[in-house]
Amino acid sequence: MTPALQAIGITKRFPGVLANDHVNFELERGQIHALLGENGAGKSTLMNILYGLYQPDAGEIRINGQTVTIASPHDAIARGIGMVHQHFMLVPPLTVAENIILGQELNVPATRPLGPLAVLHRREASRRIRELSHQYGLDVDPDAYVRDLPVGAQQRVEIVKALYRSADILILDEPTAVLTPQEADELFVIMRGLAQQGKSIVFITHKLREVFAVADRISVMRAGQMVGSLSPAEATREKLAEMMVGRKVILAIDKEWAHPAQPLLQVENLRVMDDRQHMSVDGVSFDVRAGEILGIAGVQGNGQTELAEALTGLRKAVAGRIHMAGHDMTHAHTRQMIEAGLAHVPEDRQKHGLVLSFSVRDNIVLCQYYQAPYARGVELQFPVIEDYAARLVHLFDVRTPGILTAVGSLSGGNQQKVIVARELTRLLSHHPEQDGVAPILIASQPTRGLDVGSIEFIHRQLVRARDQGAAVLLISAELDEIMTLSDRIAVMYKGHILATLDAATATREQLGLLMAGIVHGEDGADHNRSSIHP
Amino acid sequence: MSVTSESLPASSGGSPSRANLWRALGAWLTRSSVYMPLLAIGTAFVLGGVVIWVTSGSLDTVFLAYEGLLRGALFKSRGLSESLVATIPYIMLSLGIAVGFKAGLFNIGVEGQFYIGAITATWMGASLQGVPAVIHLPLTILAGAAGGALWAAIPAFLKARTGAHEVITTIMMNYIAFRLTEFLISGPFRDPNAAAVQTPRVAPNAELWSFHAIPDRLQDPLNALLVGVVFAGLAFVVARWALPRLARRYPGMGWAGAAQTLGAKAGFAFAVGALAFVLLPALTRLAWPFTDPYDRLHIGLFVALAAAVMVWWLLWKTTVGFELRMVGANPSAARYAGVSITRNILLGMSISGALAGMAGMMEVLGVSICRCLPLFFSSGYGFDAIAISLLAKNNPFGILLSSFLFGAMRNGADLMELNSGVSKYIISLLQALVLLFVAAPPIVRWLYRLRAPAGREESTAVTRGWGGQA
Repeated sequence: MTPALQAIGITKRFPGVLANDHVNFELERGQIHALLGENGAGKSTLMNILYGLYQPDAGEIRINGQTVTIASPHDAIARGIGMVHQHFMLVPPLTVAENIILGQELNVPATRPLGPLAVLHRREASRRIRELSHQYGLDVDPDAYVRDLPVGAQQRVEIVKALYRSADILILDEPTAVLTPQEADELFVIMRGLAQQGKSIVFITHKLREVFAVADRISVMRAGQMVGSLSPAEATREKLAEMMVGRKVILAIDKEWAHPAQPLLQVENLRVMDDRQHMSVDGVSFDVRAGEILGIAGVQGNGQTELAEALTGLRKAVAGRIHMAGHDMTHAHTRQMIEAGLAHVPEDRQKHGLVLSFSVRDNIVLCQYYQAPYARGVELQFPVIEDYAARLVHLFDVRTPGILTAVGSLSGGNQQKVIVARELTRLLSHHPEQDGVAPILIASQPTRGLDVGSIEFIHRQLVRARDQGAAVLLISAELDEIMTLSDRIAVMYKGHILATLDAATATREQLGLLMAGIVHGEDGADHNRSSIHP
Repeated sequence: MSVTSESLPASSGGSPSRANLWRALGAWLTRSSVYMPLLAIGTAFVLGGVVIWVTSGSLDTVFLAYEGLLRGALFKSRGLSESLVATIPYIMLSLGIAVGFKAGLFNIGVEGQFYIGAITATWMGASLQGVPAVIHLPLTILAGAAGGALWAAIPAFLKARTGAHEVITTIMMNYIAFRLTEFLISGPFRDPNAAAVQTPRVAPNAELWSFHAIPDRLQDPLNALLVGVVFAGLAFVVARWALPRLARRYPGMGWAGAAQTLGAKAGFAFAVGALAFVLLPALTRLAWPFTDPYDRLHIGLFVALAAAVMVWWLLWKTTVGFELRMVGANPSAARYAGVSITRNILLGMSISGALAGMAGMMEVLGVSICRCLPLFFSSGYGFDAIAISLLAKNNPFGILLSSFLFGAMRNGADLMELNSGVSKYIISLLQALVLLFVAAPPIVRWLYRLRAPAGREESTAVTRGWGGQA
């Protein structure tokens, strides 16, 4: 059988980089083909060539055995290739149907009296969209406004958009980066359905677990080259990770037993409202002791974001107490908390963690620029700051052309390394014995969207912080991450902590049930916590 | 814009040829930050020429017009100094706008702050009499700055408190300022002895000296003292800047010790100040290039130059500027780092307003013929300053250049009209075109087939959404 899509010897050179180096890629009909690789491995370049956004310097593309030239996305669509970008290309104030026909609304029959000026065929479009979503099991309401849809549904709109344009080959660019684990699982079901009905799918990702969940074939790219292509049966996580990174990767973090000491962060009965005045943290209490990692597990949107914001002074607590090293910090300003020893790896690194237009140097001292020795009086001491920044860039292996490079031009993994370097170095300069200053680290989704190599690195840093006596609160939607790193695991559901378990004995199933809000009652029956709690 | 070693002419191939030098110069220029603005200006003048050509029907008119513009701006009698007179307020106002932009604030209210600064400075200048310049002049300058700062602090307070967008409130504050100054000039603050509707004249000691008057002024020892103090201050700054660098360059020559002690720097400063105090009155008497009594160029030029250096230092070398720029570039990250948004909105607007107020102050103390504030005191400088600031990409030194460009065009326009019959409002067209090309670099890049710069430049949001400080 001829493959649906073949790329042979694709080469693409950018100034200073060989982004694709004689890459071969083959996609069978009805196949889900996972394309793995770290950031910058050349996956996106290859896909952009297939979608007509770039022209290859060499090589050829065949669709159903026929050699073709794809000059533009328009060409790609005409040849049945659809792409779902990582950042959705939707217009929020328009309806789903309007978004889907956007750019196609001029394809009206020439016989219509007014031609392009005629009325939009909204109803006809809605009907076809319903048909398509029914056929492929995509739950999409054509008349809903895109701005009202959750992220998972917006992604389905993007898929329907491609199908509406009669795509036979779908390219999904890191589709799970923006999804919760549950939404990701739903997406996998949809992908399976599409494949069964003859659509061919390229699935770009760097999460190993997902590859095994859904792919029929796995190809791995590294540094612009295709390293290999294998079936899921032949592959193991370790093998794939090694192919991606080019060296052995330790997926399981070796960590010593924790030696927790006195509690550094104490939270009592904390209540926090979200922006819509909804009580999203509703009476939460826990302690984090020096030398331990407390993991907060839970599906995204159960109050974790607001909890982290309240603990770092970015959001006011409505009720309850926050103590740091014994001092009441409930109503403290962020700066007071920072000076009391708090370090924070924020959930949204580009919004909160970095000033993208500032240099690496400036971002390294983002929280300390006003303190000695980085400033004397009001004057910044650039020689001191530059020495410090250069040292951290070296220690934390931040890949940057220089310390004066804008952080916004670095890759996601390196941006995160800048934050981790800044926060951990500051954190570990404090000692628990110092009066009122205590090393406390709040890490929210610290590895979201990062590649395997960076994840491994950041995990080791978190454990190092713990081993040096910091109290670490790890908030993550990745259950694997929580289970590998934590000493104790608290599960958050609808603003409550349902249970706190010992990480050594907790099982994936146990945590999964708690994350879904199901508490195992004493009488053996399952209760849904939200129904018994006022 | 730095000259990197690779862009210097390669001297390895024997004698450096002229072609090599040009190529190196070209390479440096295309990489420097003045390249795009220069292209924008050039393109605007070419397009403006086309407009003149089409509307007048003759190509000669284009050359006549631009020849007149150039002569009026630079070469006619007092041409250059009149261009500089217009440049001074442009510099101050554009610096004000640039500080605002850097802090994420779009201060359209500089025109109003200019008026308020003018009136508070006039009040301070006119209400004290017989106070020596060494006290009175700094006081009057401060009054102008304070007036502008306070006027700008009102919209800043509204923004920080209620989220009211500064673009709206500063525009409204402009009109209040215009009417308020009119009321004060024609009512409570009117000079009863003057025929025209105007404020009283400021005291001679509060005036900004014209260049031609400097030798006379310096004959008063108290004025010479003022100059001595200024020179001492400059010397102190220079010493502070130079000593650590000398110490790093030539270690073991005692520079490091001098860099650390206050005494060495203060001594140097005192020596320079004393020398200026003693020598300058005599030297300027002996030889002084500015003799034309109708030349209006005044020492506000030095104030403007100093302000540009101060703004640069504040924004890029101090913790204050670091905070302002952080709040401007990413307020969420600023909050994360424990920086107070409210404080920086107030501070950013106040500095911006202070600079604008000083511009108004200088127009009264240095330029106004009656050394007072007349009823019809309109400038329009404030709105041009927005364009100047954008052209300079909010860089203080770029502002010096682009202010001079706008000042020269403003000054040369009259002779252009006289020379060629082309309306002087063509200047506005040229300025609008410059602004268009600067605001939309892709147009220029497309015109000249240039590649977009790699990486991300330090960008400034001209203005953010209407939802307050989110």
